[in-house]
Amino acid sequence: MSVLPFPSFLDDIKEKGIKKAIFEGVDNIVERVTAGMNIQDIREALRGETPTRRPNPRLQPHADGFWLHMRPSFFHKDMTGLYPTLRLGWLSTYMVAFETITGMILMVWYTPSPQVAYGNMVNMLANVPLGQLMRDLHRLGAEGMVLIVTLHMLRTFFTGSYKKPRQFTWFTGVILLFATLFLSFSGYLLPWDQLSLWAVTIGASMIEATPPEIVGTNLNLLIRGGPEMGANGLLRFYLLHVLLVPAVLFIFTGVHYYKVIVHGHSLPPKSENIGEDTAKRVPLDKRVYFIPDMLTSEVMWIAISTLVMVVLCIWFYHAPLENHADSQITPIGTTAPWYFLWIQGALKLGDKVLWGVIFPGVYLAFLAVVPYIDSTKSRRFADRRVALTVCFLLMSFTTILSYMGLSEYGVAASADTKIIHEMTKEPAYNKMGLLLPIPFDRLVPGAYTTVQFEGDAPDSAAINFNAEIEENGLRAELTSQLSKVHLASNYQTLPFVAVPDNAPELHRALEEFYELLETNHEELYNAWGVVIVTQNQEGLKRVDVLISWDEVQLDTGRVIKGEDGLPILVLDAEGNTTRRWSVGHVFVHENSAYFEN
Amino acid sequence: MFQTGRMLFERIENRVLVSIIAFVSIMVLVGWVAINENARMASFSRQYNARAIERGAALFANNCTTCHGADGLGGAGVAPGLNNPQFFGHDFIAATRKELNSLNKQLTDLGVEKGDLATELTALDAELTSDGLTDARKAEIDAREVEIATRLAEIEVDLVDPTRTARIAELEAEKQAFADSVITAIDAGYNVEQPARTDILKWGGTQEDLIITTLIHGRPTSGSYWPAAMPAWSQRAGASMRDDQLEDVAAYILNFDKGDGWTVEDLLAVKQFGKIPGEGGPAVEITPIGTDVTAILTAVTDGSIVGDPVNGQALYESRSLGCSGCHYAGGSGPIYDGIYERIVTERLSLPQFAGYTAEHYIVESIVEPGAYTVEGYAGMTANFGERLDLQNLADIIEYIKASDPSYVAPTQPEAPATDVEATPAP
Repeated sequence: MSVLPFPSFLDDIKEKGIKKAIFEGVDNIVERVTAGMNIQDIREALRGETPTRRPNPRLQPHADGFWLHMRPSFFHKDMTGLYPTLRLGWLSTYMVAFETITGMILMVWYTPSPQVAYGNMVNMLANVPLGQLMRDLHRLGAEGMVLIVTLHMLRTFFTGSYKKPRQFTWFTGVILLFATLFLSFSGYLLPWDQLSLWAVTIGASMIEATPPEIVGTNLNLLIRGGPEMGANGLLRFYLLHVLLVPAVLFIFTGVHYYKVIVHGHSLPPKSENIGEDTAKRVPLDKRVYFIPDMLTSEVMWIAISTLVMVVLCIWFYHAPLENHADSQITPIGTTAPWYFLWIQGALKLGDKVLWGVIFPGVYLAFLAVVPYIDSTKSRRFADRRVALTVCFLLMSFTTILSYMGLSEYGVAASADTKIIHEMTKEPAYNKMGLLLPIPFDRLVPGAYTTVQFEGDAPDSAAINFNAEIEENGLRAELTSQLSKVHLASNYQTLPFVAVPDNAPELHRALEEFYELLETNHEELYNAWGVVIVTQNQEGLKRVDVLISWDEVQLDTGRVIKGEDGLPILVLDAEGNTTRRWSVGHVFVHENSAYFEN
Repeated sequence: MFQTGRMLFERIENRVLVSIIAFVSIMVLVGWVAINENARMASFSRQYNARAIERGAALFANNCTTCHGADGLGGAGVAPGLNNPQFFGHDFIAATRKELNSLNKQLTDLGVEKGDLATELTALDAELTSDGLTDARKAEIDAREVEIATRLAEIEVDLVDPTRTARIAELEAEKQAFADSVITAIDAGYNVEQPARTDILKWGGTQEDLIITTLIHGRPTSGSYWPAAMPAWSQRAGASMRDDQLEDVAAYILNFDKGDGWTVEDLLAVKQFGKIPGEGGPAVEITPIGTDVTAILTAVTDGSIVGDPVNGQALYESRSLGCSGCHYAGGSGPIYDGIYERIVTERLSLPQFAGYTAEHYIVESIVEPGAYTVEGYAGMTANFGERLDLQNLADIIEYIKASDPSYVAPTQPEAPATDVEATPAP
């Protein structure tokens, strides 16, 4: 008899006693939440026992619940190990979830506007606890996802899993590859630093090259929101990055996985006869049930993958942040993101439209239709020599193109510019100018010259150098060069000395400077370099680097040599050699801690 | 390892164990990172600020040194020094000033009290002569008047307290001695009574705000008291610098501050102190020469006007024209020494100056400086046509010619037409 006008939990207590009533109540809730498994069922599953209830409660969550409705209730034992899948498809999906979660956290701190975006990054690093870790995780996840998705595609190719009936699954996979590449690429712009701006500018200018001109111009305007990357472009990339492309990615992840389930995970080629597809016919002894085996396996993989990401981001990887984006300063050695280097390399082969637009377009289109071209039945290596050869050729070709995409390859710059850059460049791609990592107190003020390395007596070499430049009139020119770069006048005429003993790092940097000049001695004929360290403010030093050389005749960056094998000098109307100068400078603050990097 | 069908950690309890260990490790690691976050963030901020100073230094070197000097000490008559104790409000005689002010305040307070008591006394006297005063009230007034008289006598003594008088004289002497020791700074615009730039400007914000607001808007009015107005630098004001760059420049300028470490030598090194905005402008009406080079050249060379090199030197070095603020060794203009020789031997030999006389070149360089800029130097302000009259121009031409060792001064007419006072006063 109920104390209330309807049956209630109180009645249960009266009837069964409090302990039993609570247990049954909780059990009931658990069974509802799991859509079919009560506490006893879960306990049995986790103990690896066979289910005692009939019908099998472990199949209920697949039938009745939302979360597992697309997951098969059992898998074929032959594809539950590392081989043949290497867990790459699963890892790709994990990365989607991982990037979504970390991305949503980062969105809290981010405003897509050129005025504040970079400040947001600095704020995230300077004032947000765990901000750096989140940013590192998201960025590493983005790079990792590109890598994993690509490897997943290669694996699918090697095991021939794209073959009938899975052609369309492959096709959606190529769409997912596009989405992944574009997500990673659009995320590149968001920090609004020099790396972002210029990497994306390179990418966007390829879009501009799309023929015919009217299409390219308008596509470019559409994506950049103007002729140059600015506020509109940043907002568009942001919206693409957080809304449109993720939407495409989520939908096609669904389609892709649905197709995987519909056709079953393709088995290792050797476990089937040629032309057979037995993925959906899993014998009873080959069944591995999702609950509990695959579920615990996936939880374990989530734990391990996340742990690996966290460990990498604590000790081995930090997301780069360079100086604020500046459309007026093109950094030397700008490259596209590594996964687009192959396009940048292709661009060096010739025509922008052919190699920058048509070639990548055809390449990717070819990938998309591979299953329809290669319609042979056998998935075994021995029967697929042509396909595998083409694959390896493409891989080698892409690798070579990627190498060609590096700034080290085929970008013409004069030797003096390169050397000055080598000495003074700000940190980028984990490299920095030779002068920056010198500890602040070892950057001893003074004027030094590479001439000190010519011969065995640095001190007298420096003294002689002073006399020499006074004599040949180069001192006045040197002073004028330093004046042009606004070095305070009292420092323009410092006498040159040998690097003191208490500055070993500076000595090493100057020596490397000397070696760089020596390596380029043909283009930089009769060259010497100077490094002038001056105290600019308390805790701030200025380092000027200057190269002086006799100009030689060049032909598209190569030195023209005379019959005697020596470079031909450029002479003025009176037959005198032409002295050329190249200058650069960098400021170093005592707290900049470049040397700790 | 790649055995088909074999899971990583085949037994379920091993998978559960590995999961638990991995999850706990993640929590421990993230917790460990979180504990260290304050230190990491502080270290990042310190490093970021240091690099902001470096970037600011580069921007300053490229954009600001032309007027403010490579060492930030300013240019005489051109732009104020920023590497400057006055700019950061350092008072070298703070203790003296504080004590002096307190002693003077005592004197003022005594004077005020004396005045108040005298007023009260007059009122009491008036009340005494009035009708219907009760005896009790009369006695009260008498007592109060005695009290007041006693206090007034005390005040009289206190006002001439020899100890205080001597101390005030001593402190005044100290202040004067300091003023005498920084006479060159005072010439350059330093005011001993107002040692902080922010006080002069009645600036209520921080030093950084002052720098940034000046960078954003420039000093549009300053053309009347400097040769050139400071331009606006911010993209917000239509110029080139982004907000983060303004912050970098401000960080660099703020790094000039030595706090308590400023020395009198630092003060004396400053070539120019800031002026009060709006101060200056032409005090004496002049007839501007304009920018018609040919007409001006004819007027100064037809013999009707004779230049005076002495007055020319005074003008050249005056802070109102500010020539020497740029034309010094290492400055943004060619140095005065040997300037005439360089004009004759180097400039006039250039093809574009074929047919020029030295006077023609000088006049053109002053009234139309954009026509030709010597390589390696900054361009010059083009407003001297508005700031000179013919006599001043002739004087300056004479002074430039006087840089030549073989120079002979022309015979002066009996009464010089103008003198230094006739130039725009600071």
